[in-house]
Parts: sequence; structure tokens; C-alpha cells
Amino acid sequence: MDLPNMVLDWLAATIRLSAPLMLAGAGGLFTERTGIFNIGIEGMMLCGTMAAVAASLATGNLLIATLFAMFVGGLLALVHAYLTVTRRADQIVAGAAINLFALGITNLLNTPLYRAYEYRPRAPLYPVLAPEALQELPFIGPILFDQPVIVWVAFILPFVAAWFLYRTTWGLNIRAVGDHPHAVATAGLSVFRLKYAGVIISGLSAGLGGAALALADLGLFAPNMTAGRGFAVLAAFVVGKWNPIYVAAACILFGAADALQLRAQTYGLAIPYQIFVMLPYLLTIAALAGLVGRTVGPKTVGKPYDPQIV
Amino acid sequence: MTKRQSRPVLPVLGELILSGGRPVLAILASLVVSSLLILASGANPFRAYAAMLDGAVGSAAALANTGVRAAPLLLGGLGVALGFKAGLLNVGVEGQIYAGGAAAAAIGITPLPVPAWLHIFLAIVAGFLGGALWGLIPAYLKAFRGVSEIVISLMMNYVGIQFASLLVHEPSPLALEGAFYPQSPLILSSARLPILIRGTSLHAGLPLGLLIAVILHLALRYTPFGFRTRITGENPEAGRYAGVNIRAQIMLVFLLSAGLGGLAGTGEVLGLKLALYDYFSGGLGYDGIAVALMANGNPLAVILTALFFGLLRAGAGKMQVAVGIETPIAQVIQALAVLFVIAIGFAEQVRITRREGTEMVAEEAPAHGPS
Repeated sequence: MDLPNMVLDWLAATIRLSAPLMLAGAGGLFTERTGIFNIGIEGMMLCGTMAAVAASLATGNLLIATLFAMFVGGLLALVHAYLTVTRRADQIVAGAAINLFALGITNLLNTPLYRAYEYRPRAPLYPVLAPEALQELPFIGPILFDQPVIVWVAFILPFVAAWFLYRTTWGLNIRAVGDHPHAVATAGLSVFRLKYAGVIISGLSAGLGGAALALADLGLFAPNMTAGRGFAVLAAFVVGKWNPIYVAAACILFGAADALQLRAQTYGLAIPYQIFVMLPYLLTIAALAGLVGRTVGPKTVGKPYDPQIV
Repeated sequence: MTKRQSRPVLPVLGELILSGGRPVLAILASLVVSSLLILASGANPFRAYAAMLDGAVGSAAALANTGVRAAPLLLGGLGVALGFKAGLLNVGVEGQIYAGGAAAAAIGITPLPVPAWLHIFLAIVAGFLGGALWGLIPAYLKAFRGVSEIVISLMMNYVGIQFASLLVHEPSPLALEGAFYPQSPLILSSARLPILIRGTSLHAGLPLGLLIAVILHLALRYTPFGFRTRITGENPEAGRYAGVNIRAQIMLVFLLSAGLGGLAGTGEVLGLKLALYDYFSGGLGYDGIAVALMANGNPLAVILTALFFGLLRAGAGKMQVAVGIETPIAQVIQALAVLFVIAIGFAEQVRITRREGTEMVAEEAPAHGPS
């Protein structure tokens, strides 16, 4: 492959691989903004991939597959919300338990998922909607238009999230509850309801991200196929300073590293692929350590809300 | 009768049973829910669990298998449990397993002009230090910069996995040339952990873990180190008045915790896999968190929970043969048990110590990360 084609191929892959991260990131932000840390995003995404493949295989209807993946992600998020908000359990521990459960249940159902088939069929994929003329445009055609529709959704959703968070009263409440829950309670709003909403939104979007991962170009489920992408989303919150647009930008950066990682050997790069896989996590550590500017998250994230303790 | 008077009446044994009752209840609940899954797959849950038990404790080989599975969970779980006591949550065990395993392998594949007992000792020490090294960044940032150890150690996991992967791919000096699956050369026989029962793979990692559990239990209870650790977790402000160097204690405990994670990887590499393989752990570090949580951070209880999780894994193979349910059912039972323990509220003590820990640091260093 010559250089221009390599760059083109890499950029198109970057856009495609960023999409699951951006989808999960846009909603995942809401849980962190309400002060609930959700490391279970990884597991919710993983269950989302399996749910999407199962529903797509069964019905062939992408809308149903998408909604089912979101439903499964949301259901796991409901468990997380119950444990962390109602039971006030440790958020990390609850999220880790959800990840263990997600890994176990998807490994368990992996064989039954394909039991009816002799070979592993590819599930129906998200369609490419752009007209052929646009897809064939030089350079921007393959990058922007020869992409499944879910990729477009991924690029719109962060703006929707930003609008909700910064331009609506409800978004203001969500932001306030993570920083000053007692003030929100004093204003007569239900802290619990806002936190539940935040966590469930993160689960819905994690499921959606899982659907994008499975049905954008693969159409298959493989055990542990998220392989840490949920954690990369958590990293994007830090690097993107909890702002939906910056988080989306961080997700694109991570997607670019991921795309390069997969191509390091074919492109004959001197840098080993493992370096690119490490990159998002190293960047996050640097950001938290204060090496690249100051990073301040929602004030009460990680701490349980107890109306009795001010 | 007032509460104050009635309290001593409750015997110590009764309290132990009460505190142990919740995890047992959680395990029972997880077995019940899992039996629904087994029923749904068309098998008889009683036959399934009987097969599992037989596969885990039914023969010497089965028992050895349970021990082999429990060893890394025990060592990693002890690391997490030690952290709990100081109000620290080490979720970086997975990365520490790879770092420790890699360091142990580096010594273990190098011919040294020393007697065998010294070679294996050096390899184990290297494994411990490798894990501790992987804990250095989160420990330092937590103790001196007030940055949450949780996110940092979580991110270190993926760096560790990829770092070990780099080491077993050519042109690394640790990589075995032309290997079918990326790996290091085999560990030299002078650096392999001794096998306890001939004909099985039960290695010395399990007794090492048992020994460390007892030492940790005694150290936490009866030594100045234990006092400093507990006060760091429970009431750092009071600790500071008592002259405890809280920052130093956070560093020390986190490094020891990470070192134990390193030992979990060391046992796998020197005792079971006998080489450093790409992705050799596959999530043992996260299981270690579950083990410590089920035991509520009590080192002696970690022995029981690690053996129980080991039993599930060892028995799952036989269960698959007997009734056809796949082996990941062990993971599901384990995760459900943890979820039930959390839901019942056994984890609340851990949470309270951690919350106080975070508040302490927040006051100290306003330039906190996500505080």
C-alpha cells in the first residue's frame, strides 16, 4: 500500500473505531457528572455487543438490535445504580463485580448464541446510507460517507449530550448533583432520581457503543471482544476533562491509536503495536498526575450520597 | 436491659458466625440463581453441583487442581485485602501480576552461578519487586499528590498487559524465537517452584500464600505496622496526632499490596505455566478483588474465599462433562456471589474506611484529581 492510501485507510478506520467509544462516552459522562463512578461500562458494553448480535441474528432488524443492546446495558446499569445509590456500596467494587458478571455471562452464552448454526454467520450490519456519488468522492468519500449509519450517530451524540448538559435545566441539575448534592436536595430535587438517571443513561449508551462495536463492520460476537474499550472510555473522561466535546475528541484520539495498533504490522511500522495500545492509558495517567494541565472531575465522584451526612 | 449491657453477652464466636453469615448467604443465593441458568440449559442443578464438587474435591488430583486455581487468587486477594486495611483500593492487581510474572521470568530463564535454592529465591524476590514497581506510580501519586489510586492503578493494568506482551514478542531478549504462541523460553528447572504432590501441578505457591495470610493476620493485629496501617485507613487524622507518618504508610502498604499482586503472577509463571506467555493471567487480578471483598479484607477469610473460587473453577470442567453446561458458569457463580455480598451490605465497612481515607487526602491536597 502506498502512503496516501495508507493514510486514507487509517483515517477511515479511526472514524469507525472511535464510534463505539464516542457513543459510550457521550452517555457515560452523565453518570460521572452525577457523582457515580461506573467502571462497569466495560461489562455493559460487552453485554451490549452480544445482545446486538443476538437480536440482529434473530430478527435482522437493526433498530431492534440497537434497542435490545441498549436495554441490556441499561438493565446492568440499573443494578449498578441500586447497589451504589440505594445501597451506597463502593462504586468501584460494584462496577468491578458487574464486569466480572458480564464477562462470565457472555462467555457462558457464547456457545448457545451460535448453537443453531453450523458455522458462525455474520449478523446483518448497520447500512451505509450515503449515496454512491458521495462515497466515491476522493479522500473525504471513504472517510466520511462510506461509513455505517451508527458512525454518524456517534458523531452527533456528543453534541446532543453537550446541549443537554449545558443548555437545559435538567442538565444543570445533573451537573450540580455531582458537585453539590446537598444543595440540590435543598432545592427540592431528588438526588437519588438524578443519580439513577445518570447511571442508567451511561448503561444505555454503553449498550449502544457495544452495538456499534459488533454491528458496524464485524457482525460477530467474540468472547471479551470489548477488550478494555470501556476502560478507554473512562480514560477519555479524564483526558477530555468531563466535557462532552473534549471527551469525544479524546475518543477519536484513542480510536486513531487503536486503528494504528491494528495496522502497525501491515504498515511495517518500526514502533511495536503494544505501544499504541498503551497510549490512551499512559495519557490518562499523565493527565491525572498533572503532567498535561490540571484535570478536575466532578467533586463527589466515588463518594456515596448520604442525606444524613453533610 | 440497655444495649451497652447486652453487647458483651454476644459471644465472640457468635459475632464471627454473624459476620461470616452474609458471604455464606450470598454464595447460597448465587448458587440458587445459577441453578436457574443450569435448568434453562436443560440440566439438573443438583447433578451439576454434585459433579462440580466431585471435580473439585473428589480425588487427590481434584484437590490439587483446586489448590492450583486458588493460589493466584489467594496471593492477589491478600494484596487487595491489605490495601483495604489502609483505606486503599488496589484495582491494579492484574497489571502487577504481569509485571511480577515478567520479572520472575527474567530471573528464572537466566542461568545463574548460584545453588538452586538461591536461584528460586531470587526469582521470587524479583517477582515481588516487579509487582511493587508496578504499584510505585499509583502509590506515590496517592501518598504525595492526593490523586486517587483507583483510576491510576486501573490504567496501569493495560500498560502492564501490553508491557509483558512486548517482552515476549521478538526482538525482546525475553522472547523465544520462532514460538507458535508468543512466550519466553522455559523457566530453568533450578527456578521452578517445587511440586507438592507428584503427578499433579500443585506447586509451592499455595503454601506460600497460606504462610503470608497468617503473617499478615498477625502483623495487622499485633505489630506497630498493623496499628499504623489500620489507623491510616480508619482515622488518619488521629494517626497523625499519634505520630504516624500517613504518607509513608500509604506508600508502604500500597507497595506491599502491589508486591503481593506480583507474587500471584510469580506463582503462575514459576509454578504452573513455566514460561512467560502473552496474556497469561486473563483477569486473575480482578478475581483477586472479588476474593478480598468476599472476605471483607480479613486475611484468614481470604484463604477460604480463594479456595472456594478455586473450587468453582476446578469443578467446572467436570460439570461440563457431566451435564454439558459450559465452564464459564464458574465465573457467573463467582460474580453473582460478589454482587449479592455487595447488595447485602457486607462491603459497607470497606466503604466507610475508604471514604474517610479520601476525605483526608482531599483536605491535604486541594489539587486533587477527580475529587
